[in-house]
Amino acid sequence: MSGVEGSSTPGKVAAGLRGRADFDPARAEGHGLADSRRAFTTSVRLGWQIESNWTDPLLFLIFLVARPVASALILIVMLEVISGGANRDLRAFVITGSALWSFVVAGMAGLAWSVLDDRERYRTLKYLVVSPSTLVVMLLGRGTARVASGAMGAMIAIGVGIVFLGVPFDVTRVDWGLLVPVMVVGLASIVALGLLLAATVLQSRQDSWSYPDAVAGALFLVVGAIFPLTVLPGALQAVGLLVPLTWWLEGVRQALFPGALSSIGGAGSFYAQVTGRLTPSGGEVIIVLLATTAIVTLAAATIYGVSERRARDRGLFDRTTGS
Amino acid sequence: MPSSPVTPPAIDVRELRRVYKAKPDDVTALDGIDLRVESGEFFGLLGPNGAGKTTLIKILTTLLLPTSGAARVFGFDVVADTKKIRRIMNMVAGGEQSGYGLLTTREQLWMFSQFYGMPVRDGWRRVDELIEAVGLSEQRGQKVHTLSTGERQKMNFARGLLNDPWVFFLDEPTLGLDVSAARAVRELVVAWKAAVPGRTILLTTHYMAEADELCERLAIVDRGRILAIGSPAELKKRVQRESLFRLELTSLGRGVAALAALPGVVSATLAGDQAEAPDDRQTVIVNLALSDDSALGGVISALGPLGAHIVALQKSEPTLEDVFVELVGRGFTQEAGDAGVFPAPGAASEARTGRDAIAAVHARETAEDGATADEDERAGATVEPAREPVEPVAPRR
Repeated sequence: MSGVEGSSTPGKVAAGLRGRADFDPARAEGHGLADSRRAFTTSVRLGWQIESNWTDPLLFLIFLVARPVASALILIVMLEVISGGANRDLRAFVITGSALWSFVVAGMAGLAWSVLDDRERYRTLKYLVVSPSTLVVMLLGRGTARVASGAMGAMIAIGVGIVFLGVPFDVTRVDWGLLVPVMVVGLASIVALGLLLAATVLQSRQDSWSYPDAVAGALFLVVGAIFPLTVLPGALQAVGLLVPLTWWLEGVRQALFPGALSSIGGAGSFYAQVTGRLTPSGGEVIIVLLATTAIVTLAAATIYGVSERRARDRGLFDRTTGS
Repeated sequence: MPSSPVTPPAIDVRELRRVYKAKPDDVTALDGIDLRVESGEFFGLLGPNGAGKTTLIKILTTLLLPTSGAARVFGFDVVADTKKIRRIMNMVAGGEQSGYGLLTTREQLWMFSQFYGMPVRDGWRRVDELIEAVGLSEQRGQKVHTLSTGERQKMNFARGLLNDPWVFFLDEPTLGLDVSAARAVRELVVAWKAAVPGRTILLTTHYMAEADELCERLAIVDRGRILAIGSPAELKKRVQRESLFRLELTSLGRGVAALAALPGVVSATLAGDQAEAPDDRQTVIVNLALSDDSALGGVISALGPLGAHIVALQKSEPTLEDVFVELVGRGFTQEAGDAGVFPAPGAASEARTGRDAIAAVHARETAEDGATADEDERAGATVEPAREPVEPVAPRR
């Protein structure tokens, strides 16, 4: 054959196509953590490029700001109309809850949508699966990019609330000793829930883009994001207390706005009935958050492992539905 | 290329079965396949849609688990040693538009180089070399979604070579490409094989000419079974019991019967429509079947006394389709709605249509019963075999 059409010279073709020495079994061995680190950082970069490259930077910034702010404003207006006046405590409660929840949704959906994006839209999932990198590491990297953009949105929304909507924030009163561990563990719980969703959509053969929103919507009801749990029946309050996100939201609120309205406790709350205390302490929040996150993470890791194995057994990695 | 004594076979498959659960009956995509491909071979799997080719590649690339049997790639088990296999192989599939459309060609390839475990700088260098090698220099900064189908397949090919695979799986790599793009991809395959002769290629295709042109050895596959293995020449020899010649003559006054009576001539017939309107022709074309090539001398000697002069003489070779028909009792066209030849203009859309139809069947079936069989396998599963397949031929060792 005369050479590759469109390539520069045969010499360059040969140079590009040449390979290393023949059969070397050592090449089948990996580099352990270094490979995982490389796969993770590359996935974060890929996730960020996919997340941000769909439009020009200015429009992306507007989108990043506008979405959480608009969500918070809708809730504020509803609150003002319903309550008939400004309740600064409740306003702060709603704004922080709504901002943090958009972060939760971004984090949970990030992993699941990565599976769907790569399988259905980009058709690259099978190539990622058969690469030496671990799929779950790549998914975590992709999810991290979405978490980062969600975190930016949440911070912007809280900032708008503080500057323009009178949310009472005093940086000197922030309980950093509570905020840091709560954020770290809370992030782990969000990722674990995302992994559960990824495991679910990996099995689905139908349009499952809305699964993350559906799950987030269901959790939204019981985690005390925009209203205290006390307004719910006792059984739903109990369910809410089993979800790590409930404790994460409580911890963040306590750390950022000490003495603010509790989403868990309060007079007549299920929590108060069980424990005999009105609100949980910071230490209690951390411990329960740790425990519930450990359970969810263990369950997520197990279920994801089963899901990946089943996907390989059923040939689901490249099974597109045309959705 | 023969492998060294210490090198395990590139592919070693024993009694491999893959059954997809489906209703009303399970679909057997692979039915006890035995296959051995040596290191350095360019091996082809030729068969119609639904033959089981893609299922076999999916198992060998660790994308799918077998139901039973064993499969090894360079001695590594496809079930237990997935990571090791993934480090030494790569794959490219045709008939799809894969790639992150928002990234540039260069970014996309670099990203995969990282997933293949290459150091950052090595990755960029290798990407630039391969971009040049596959002829995408002008498209290196272009976003993937703006690439043509052929350019995208070249990019995929470059991706497949990033980790310098020992074994390269090509699953219908020219499917859906126009003539020029398909040729470019085939040339790349040949160029890579020439540049690294020790590497192994497993190509699946239902384009018979492609298999004939590229592969050193072939397995003809149908309904999950290997019907025959050998070099294209060996396979064609299986169906060539007589020597066939096409003889163009100035005239043939005493007719073909005179030729048919000669020693060693099994049959002599007028070609094509000449049998119906021989007088309209300037020349006469005769198809000769001889007991063997040596009988040709006698025929040529007899032409002078018969008043005939030779205008052209051509030996007719059987095609791989003839082999397939001989083995299975039907052609590709009867099953796949595909001519089994290189894609001609418009072929891509025809192939798509076929796949879409299969996908529609799949979508309906999965909606009904949640089954997961490969769409190609399903298509094949609906056609009853015309005759019992012959036993597999042992590969050359």
